[in-house]
Amino acid sequence: METHKFGVKLFITNPAAKPLKDFIPVFHGWIQSQALPGHLLIDVHDYSHVHHGPGILLVSHEANLSLDEAEGRRGLVYIRKQPGQLADTIAAAKAAAKKLSDEHGVQFEACKFEVFVNDRLAGISAPQVTAAAGGRVTAKPGDSRERQTFVVNRE
Amino acid sequence: MTWKEKLGAQIPADLGKEIDIYETQMELRKLGKIDEKLFAETRLRRGAYGQRYDNAQRFDGFQTQHLKFPLAPLTKGPDTAWDAPGMMRIKIPFGGLNPGQLEVLADCAEEYSDGILHITTRQDFQFHFVHIEDTPNLMRRLAAVGITTREACGNSVRNVTACPLSGICRTEAFDVTPYAKALTYFLLGHPDTQDFGRKFKPAFSGCEDEACGLVNMHDFGGIAQVRDGNRGFKLYVGGGLGAVPYQAKVFGDFVPVEELLPTAQAIARVFARLGEKANRARARIKFLVDKLGIEEFKRLVAEERKILPPDPRWTQFPAVDEKPIKPASSLNGHRPEGFNAWHTTNVYQQRQAGFATVTVACPIGDITSTQARQLADLVRKYSGDSVRTSVEQNLLIRWVSQADLPALYTGLKQIGLGEHGAGTILDMTACPGTDTCKLGIASSRGLARELRSQLAGKFFTLDESVKGLRIKMSGCFNSCGQHHIADIGFYGNSRTIANRKVPHFQVLLGGKWRNNGGSYGLAIGSVPSRNVPKVVERITERFVKERHANESLQDFYARIGKAESRKMIEDLMVVPPYEKDPTFYSDWGDPREFSMGDIGMGECAGEVITALQFELGAAERMNFEAQLAHEAGNFAKADELAFGSMLQAAHGLIHEQWLDAPRDPATVVSEFKTRFLTMFQPQLAGYLFKRSESAPAPTKEATHRLIEEAQLFIEGAHTCGDKLQLQKAADRAAVLKK
Repeated sequence: METHKFGVKLFITNPAAKPLKDFIPVFHGWIQSQALPGHLLIDVHDYSHVHHGPGILLVSHEANLSLDEAEGRRGLVYIRKQPGQLADTIAAAKAAAKKLSDEHGVQFEACKFEVFVNDRLAGISAPQVTAAAGGRVTAKPGDSRERQTFVVNRE
Repeated sequence: MTWKEKLGAQIPADLGKEIDIYETQMELRKLGKIDEKLFAETRLRRGAYGQRYDNAQRFDGFQTQHLKFPLAPLTKGPDTAWDAPGMMRIKIPFGGLNPGQLEVLADCAEEYSDGILHITTRQDFQFHFVHIEDTPNLMRRLAAVGITTREACGNSVRNVTACPLSGICRTEAFDVTPYAKALTYFLLGHPDTQDFGRKFKPAFSGCEDEACGLVNMHDFGGIAQVRDGNRGFKLYVGGGLGAVPYQAKVFGDFVPVEELLPTAQAIARVFARLGEKANRARARIKFLVDKLGIEEFKRLVAEERKILPPDPRWTQFPAVDEKPIKPASSLNGHRPEGFNAWHTTNVYQQRQAGFATVTVACPIGDITSTQARQLADLVRKYSGDSVRTSVEQNLLIRWVSQADLPALYTGLKQIGLGEHGAGTILDMTACPGTDTCKLGIASSRGLARELRSQLAGKFFTLDESVKGLRIKMSGCFNSCGQHHIADIGFYGNSRTIANRKVPHFQVLLGGKWRNNGGSYGLAIGSVPSRNVPKVVERITERFVKERHANESLQDFYARIGKAESRKMIEDLMVVPPYEKDPTFYSDWGDPREFSMGDIGMGECAGEVITALQFELGAAERMNFEAQLAHEAGNFAKADELAFGSMLQAAHGLIHEQWLDAPRDPATVVSEFKTRFLTMFQPQLAGYLFKRSESAPAPTKEATHRLIEEAQLFIEGAHTCGDKLQLQKAADRAAVLKK
């Protein structure tokens, strides 16, 4: 089945530089200026109290963005909710990351990120991810209940 | 492949059909064929709730933004944008679920929400930021594992709650689980519960003295009793928190279990018939009981009980079949670091020797999808299949063999759920407040996060009398956070200081958690949100310093008096000027300047949609389906549906006068003729009689005509229904006046 429910996690390399809660005003500022083109930004949610959770969440109509702490590794997660291509989802995630980087000094791992399918009815193959993301793509091992996830390495 | 195809027969037929109907109603709403109020109540009764900013307005700190949702101006209720994210409430009767259900909840939270499972103060789960288009599939996936969202919101019987220790409790009279379960499925979708003016919340407790199911604050509740070896309930009715809290009244000291369901049914009928419909603020059953007096209310229920047609389900109580996965054992061997503190607060020794129940403390009721799956693994390994949610927004793992406790603790620590402090001052309860609720005034969750963080650092240095206190907070006066029954309760409000709004919390003392929510706290003063941590510190320090031996906080408060209590916090009620400290002018966890501008119309009260309106809505849906069948060339089906839509509308009218009216076509036509011939436009009534007397060959032309006639018949039923509603209102007023 075709799906648009893709997610991307871009890993942050300097998580100690900015406490998680400091991203709350950052995201509120983004809403004030509706700073992400192609997105209707709606609200900010604080999940900092949850262990390895979505951290600080920015909800838009088109996607959820979060300063995610899953697996104890902070990153910017972008999860598409409305129709769109995987390549566009990756581009949107990177645009948000660049904004955080340019304006708030958040540094991201340049050569590696994750792509996942947030839809258990659909599947995607590594070559399809490669076509959209480029680089060397490998499936990330996980148990059968978890989302299908790929690691993208771009040397 | 779709979820409907993939899950197929795993979805129980009745639930599957209901979800299909709901999906059709969504389509009809998009086509403008269902009124927005009717659709709002329809989705509410399927658990799909509104959420803050779904009126497309949001104050961003400087100005109110108009959120331009793509499908505007399409709405899913009055002032509620169709594609604005909303909340999904999922009923968990008596809080009981198994690991498989927990996993499906986790998957759905991840795919349709934000990866968080939120446990509510009534043992439900809630998902936030859910798009309405995703709700049918979400419901199907839950239905496939036996979970329904039906009547989770709206003017209906809400989740039946029960003490999470039922069956393993050391002090209970008997396990209330089978009775809570029986009542749940008996009242779910029952025709006698479809015409309420407001919601109806039942609860069960196994014992009277503990907090258990908090029966005193419920619309309907039972406390287990055994008399002469027979089981029964001390039955309560007419309790409730909300803006005006009422203690429930005793309906019967001992109602045998065989009479539990019929009594509930008779109460539902009286509430539907005489409960307030127009004034939403006075439509809960507590107001009806108060107005009639408990004795007159009991008399009316007894009258109704006499005429109820017998139902075999009244005495069908499902067996509870919980089996531990490991044999009983003793706690021994190595204890990991932190285990003892956790064991003190989070482990309950079951009545069954060698077994314990573990409370998994979920901070303000939240766990991630990943944690939920990992927790399911731990439950399978150490318990079997028994998890319960609690009204304190935690999860309980039952039937753990004592020797496994250290390993389970280690497992919980590894997934970030090994926090100690369950049932203590750290274990705060908070409603969603301004985070997601349309009615929220102040940030109850933001305050809970802050208080928890401050108290966690000094928990081990706190006096024992303080450790056991309970703090509960709500974002407004409606008391979803159950602030009235906390040792220290707070509810959000607002004050204006030099033309600026300042978030405040009203402080309540004197509430009692034990004795099933035995007494309600009273407000002593409103303090700015930023000063609430100091208020907690001030009250607890004074309590420790001046308390008499074994004196509770409630007794201490009663002894020192209200004036002295207020004096204790008076200096903290002062707000510094904005120029001196602007932090007072924003809320916890929200840097925007505080505003009341985001408050919308709540959906807790639902829309006043009568049972007749639902039946007529269903008739219109059937008529639309007849049109689809006609369009597809299936004329026989179209004929059947068009005729069915007339029968449905006619039954709706009959049901207004005869609650137990059968649905077979012959009776419906005959009763319709007897009751409404003089009230109904003759030409339109004739369409029903003509079709019931002879079914024409289902040609394209004949069925087309029948569909049109059926539509006109439904219009006639609306007109007739309006007259009936006026008559009912007059009858109700006459009874209440008498």
